[in-house]
Amino acid sequence: MSAATDIYAPKGKPLPKPARVSQVIDSVTFSVALYAGIIGVIIYVSYTGAQAMGYNWQWYRIPQYFYTVTDDGFQWGEIVYGLLKTIQLSATAFALATVLGLIVALMRLSGLLIVGAVSVGFLELIRNIPLLVLLYLFYYVLGPVFGFDRYTASVLCLGVFHSVLISEIFRAGIEAVAKGQWEAATSIGMTKGQAYRYIILPQSIRFMLPPMTGEVVHMVKSSAIVSVIAVAELTTIGRNIISDTYMSFEIWFTIAAVYMVVTLILSVGVSMVEKRYAVSQ
Amino acid sequence: MLDKLKKLHWLDYLVLAVVVGFFGYIWWQIEGVLNYNWRWGQIPNYIVRYHTGREEWFANLLLQGLVATIRISIYASILAVILGTILGIARCSANLTIRMLARTYLEFLRNIPPVVVIFIFFFFLSQQLINALNIESWARTIARSDDKAVWEFFFGDMRRFPSLISGVIVLALFESAFVGEIVRAGIQSVDKGQREGARSIGMNRFQEMRYIVLPQAIKRVLPPLANQFITLIKDSAIISLISVQELTFKTVELVASTRLLFEAWITTAAFYFVLCFGLSMLFRRLENRGQRRR
Amino acid sequence: MKITRRFLGAAMAAAIGASASMPAFAQSATQGLSSESVIEAIKERGALKIGLSLFKPWSMRDLNGDLIGFELDVGRQLAEDMGVEVEFIPTSWDGIIPALVAGNFDVIISGMTVTPQRNLTVNFSMPYAYSGMTILANTAMTEGFALEDYNSEEITFAARRGATPATVIAEMFPKATLLLFDEDGAATQEVLNGNAHATMASEPGPSDDARDNPETLSVPFNQAYQAGGEGFAMRKGDPDALAFFNSWITWRTNTGWLKERHDYWFRGDEWKAEVAQ
Repeated sequence: MSAATDIYAPKGKPLPKPARVSQVIDSVTFSVALYAGIIGVIIYVSYTGAQAMGYNWQWYRIPQYFYTVTDDGFQWGEIVYGLLKTIQLSATAFALATVLGLIVALMRLSGLLIVGAVSVGFLELIRNIPLLVLLYLFYYVLGPVFGFDRYTASVLCLGVFHSVLISEIFRAGIEAVAKGQWEAATSIGMTKGQAYRYIILPQSIRFMLPPMTGEVVHMVKSSAIVSVIAVAELTTIGRNIISDTYMSFEIWFTIAAVYMVVTLILSVGVSMVEKRYAVSQ
Repeated sequence: MLDKLKKLHWLDYLVLAVVVGFFGYIWWQIEGVLNYNWRWGQIPNYIVRYHTGREEWFANLLLQGLVATIRISIYASILAVILGTILGIARCSANLTIRMLARTYLEFLRNIPPVVVIFIFFFFLSQQLINALNIESWARTIARSDDKAVWEFFFGDMRRFPSLISGVIVLALFESAFVGEIVRAGIQSVDKGQREGARSIGMNRFQEMRYIVLPQAIKRVLPPLANQFITLIKDSAIISLISVQELTFKTVELVASTRLLFEAWITTAAFYFVLCFGLSMLFRRLENRGQRRR
Repeated sequence: MKITRRFLGAAMAAAIGASASMPAFAQSATQGLSSESVIEAIKERGALKIGLSLFKPWSMRDLNGDLIGFELDVGRQLAEDMGVEVEFIPTSWDGIIPALVAGNFDVIISGMTVTPQRNLTVNFSMPYAYSGMTILANTAMTEGFALEDYNSEEITFAARRGATPATVIAEMFPKATLLLFDEDGAATQEVLNGNAHATMASEPGPSDDARDNPETLSVPFNQAYQAGGEGFAMRKGDPDALAFFNSWITWRTNTGWLKERHDYWFRGDEWKAEVAQ
């Protein structure tokens, strides 16, 4: 060891420690506490503000809509019924949208003249009309023509609307599969159909799964709009309760909370799927 | 033309047959089974009409609704971009509290159906704001004054101004969440080196954001922002549920007054289609031009 | 930042207002009550704001897109008698009472039937019109039904959400299924399509609809239900407004004006030329 000073040792005075105050303020616990405090203040101000407006908060009436325990035993309330209906509606519409979306995506990618034109026309038509107007169209115009009831009209409308979004996901997923796969498939003599079925589609699923699960959440949110044509589901039940009892704020917040719980559960599922199928770039 | 016909595959013919069959069935049902009297002749009257009393041409229900939708969309977009940019910056902030608050707002808006959000914002926020800022009497004074033509061009009938503003505020608050995400993605896509460069010449965080990061971020996310504008126009149909006098609400009124069920809804859908499709074509062309120049 | 400044401004205004109103505590209770009435607010504003929901022939859009109907005549006359302008605010029916309570307008003049349930939230004036409700049924689906036959689980009724027919149907036919819609036209369309057996609505709606669609629809029973009367709805805690509207309705009833207008819109059809049919 030479007598020369170690050139890698830090020179000069060490950096001053940040002041005690900024250490506290920058810490995680303080931030979280401050956040909780701000949220608490917002809730408190809204509550008393509404009361000052003359609104009579009646939270005690809410639990009966979730469940009731009567002489007949335990019974689920209207909100739970509405939630089940929402899930049923969303699931059916999603299945329809997936099938239709796949067909449209394949049509779009086919390269054929009329097939491609029809699919593009369909996509552009549905993409540029609001969901509410589409629902009215399905229910008031196509409903009488084909004889749908309101539930069928809602499922069809939601299915068609989301099929457009899903077809784009399919198309992106299919196009993301490396070109080399196509070439390999045709070079061993597969037809286009066989290539799709055995090589391309299975691989494209990996790309499609994350956005698809996002579409499930989107579908649950879109399903709320069918309340305008009185289809039994969560939002409709909420509006009916409000028109009977005038508890607007409590019901709307409760309904919003139920939707949040559902979508959060779904999102947890989404992140689990994403982790499993993450595409390592 | 003939050589195009030769390229047709059997699937083409199949699809063509299905489409023709579909529309044919609809036509047959409407004419034959439902006995519906098409009254298309009455629709142009509801778009533009020569007023019997005032003896002048004026825009009737549907056109009024269309213009209201356009106005609301433009104002809500401007407000949404402002709020969304603030939200996007807050999401990238160094302060954990601000990040958490922004994240909460975002998750609240992203996980709840638009219908529910609109109702909550309407009852809970915009009413309060309008009362607090006394917008109503201000609008009424303008409606009574003589030089209201300019105001009416921008905002329509000034007496209905509070309702217009409610719609704009509610729509802007809702869309700001999505704009916020777009802006955040834009900000995070700006190369870290840019920020380090800014810091090294002595800019503070605010200056760095304003002069270096934001301009680049916004330029990058212009295409998604343009798409969000079109989405906003479509979402504006939902505010008809809070009785804002835009195109969908006017169509509902038209149907309630005249039972022109089919014609009214098909016309309104056509209006929205022309508006949104036209804009998306326009944006596509602008984007191509922009890219070619680069 | 703008919002905090506004809140600060509002808070300051509230503080100044509170201190300025100290001498007001010396006022007598009756003066206080009058000054809080919506009548005062209307006079100050110079305009009467009326909430309504489109429903033929109470209120509808004519060919010019203007609002015409029985309510419009009543509202315009009321405003003229008060010496103020009038503003009509079309609102969707199931949000109309919350909108009144929130202060969007001063009074609801929209053919609203007086019911005890609504009366818990709003005050009603005395009735200014009496329109009973009749049943409108799909002829093919309800052939040969007597009144009791409608009260069965296989029967579906359609009605407008929050409207009186909905409650009446629920009371009269508890076993039947009831579907609720945002608009009246939707409920009638349901019966027309055969997705519901019947609906109830205030006259002259059902008779008009049956006349327009003689093959599909009919009014099976001549009896009008719940001719309870329609009144103005206003916010609670306002005795002056209640007294004013009641006196106005009494006066206009006694001079025969209300009946004349009601007959014009409900019994005659001269106005039909102005509205697309």
